[in-house]
Amino acid sequence: MIKVTGLKKNFGDLDVLKGIDQHVKQGEKVVIIGPSGSGKSTFLRCLNLLEVPTEGEILIEGESITEPKTNVNKIREKMGMVFQQFNLFPHLTVLDNITLAPVKVKKMPKPDAEVLARELLCKVGLADKENAYPAQLSGGQQQRIAIARALAMQPDIMLFDEPTSALDPEMVGEVLSVMKDLAEAGMTMVVVTHEMGFAREVASRVLFMDDGYVIEEGTPNDIFDNPQNDRTKEFLSKVL
Amino acid sequence: MPVWVIDILSRLNSTFIVAGRWKMFLSGLGYTLLISLFSIILGLVIGIIMALMRLSKNKVLRGISGIYIDIIRGTPTMVQLLIIYFIIFAKVPIPQWIVGCIAFGINSGAYMAEIVRGGILSISIGQTEAGRSLGMTSRQTMSSIVMPQAMKNILPAMGNEFVVLIKETAVIGMISSIDLVGAAQQVQSRTYDYLVPLLSIAVIYYAVIKIISIVLNKLESGMRKADKR
Repeated sequence: MIKVTGLKKNFGDLDVLKGIDQHVKQGEKVVIIGPSGSGKSTFLRCLNLLEVPTEGEILIEGESITEPKTNVNKIREKMGMVFQQFNLFPHLTVLDNITLAPVKVKKMPKPDAEVLARELLCKVGLADKENAYPAQLSGGQQQRIAIARALAMQPDIMLFDEPTSALDPEMVGEVLSVMKDLAEAGMTMVVVTHEMGFAREVASRVLFMDDGYVIEEGTPNDIFDNPQNDRTKEFLSKVL
Repeated sequence: MPVWVIDILSRLNSTFIVAGRWKMFLSGLGYTLLISLFSIILGLVIGIIMALMRLSKNKVLRGISGIYIDIIRGTPTMVQLLIIYFIIFAKVPIPQWIVGCIAFGINSGAYMAEIVRGGILSISIGQTEAGRSLGMTSRQTMSSIVMPQAMKNILPAMGNEFVVLIKETAVIGMISSIDLVGAAQQVQSRTYDYLVPLLSIAVIYYAVIKIISIVLNKLESGMRKADKR
């Protein structure tokens, strides 16, 4: 579903990604862990071209997104993204946040988009908030709306960029539980996170990244209970 | 009645009532408002276009708007008006008030461009990324996500620019005397009284700007409703 070959990215003199080869299959839940500055977020942002790779190829459902002539917007329709800072649109109500892209991009009639939005709001447990503005909601609620907003485009793949890192501790659970529901429903997910409990429970594969490379990968059991690489061991000893 | 009251009343009479001179003030006010309105609209359109050009990835577009803003801000409005009237439109039969609208619009556009650019830059890049990640084009993202928020942020600065522009239209006196200041000058040339006509138009300008400020404040607090927690 996602095929990454020889992916490199540098910002000026700084090499952030130094050569990544990965294959994410349909329905897989890939969780990326690693110290900050290891390139996790950059890798994720390359997958929907929020960062343009310096070198390498990325295929999404067989289509190369690194070719200059690809229609990036079409590819992005298939990939939802959830950000650390939520990035809800503060000037729109919750309902309009969710319906904006389906109406503008997919040309979905507004009433249909609203029906869909209300379904998604039920799913994330915020059916009563459709007329609220983002500033009236807690961080956890905002992030759940952001997930609903991404799902409204009916994507095949969901990318999560440290979705709980900006949240107060007591709100982390509600966001993770929405993500777990999504995983159980069979969504293909790539998640950058520091929530090791979530990684252990939900991941079908865990990638440990450091210094621009994927240093070690495997099932949660492999990585958490029996890490092979010294740097993985050192990192896990600090966070677990 | 004291003598000075009688004096003031007679001067008011000769300024406004005799020969229906109030009509001159009314027409002057009409033209001032007309020129202001069209200049503001033109300035806003030019400002938005220039701001977007200034922020575009295209070097040529960036260069053009940079030069435009630089030249307009670096020369007096009065000189720009004179150049546009006596050189650019020298051979074109066109009413002076329209020349005024064009000149003031072009002038205001440069200032508006910087205000709009600041407004766009004040919106976090995360908003653009969120829009783009949903598959929206950069144009859609700009028009339904960034611009509405930017406009709200720049409303105070924009209101200030409107007020400056309304007062600046008095410069049209260099090419024509159809505005409020022109009316005062025409009346005083007949009555030999400077005090009453000039104080009168000062009061009129003040009232117009007061009304506009109140309307803009109302508009702004309306747009802020999404911020209430």
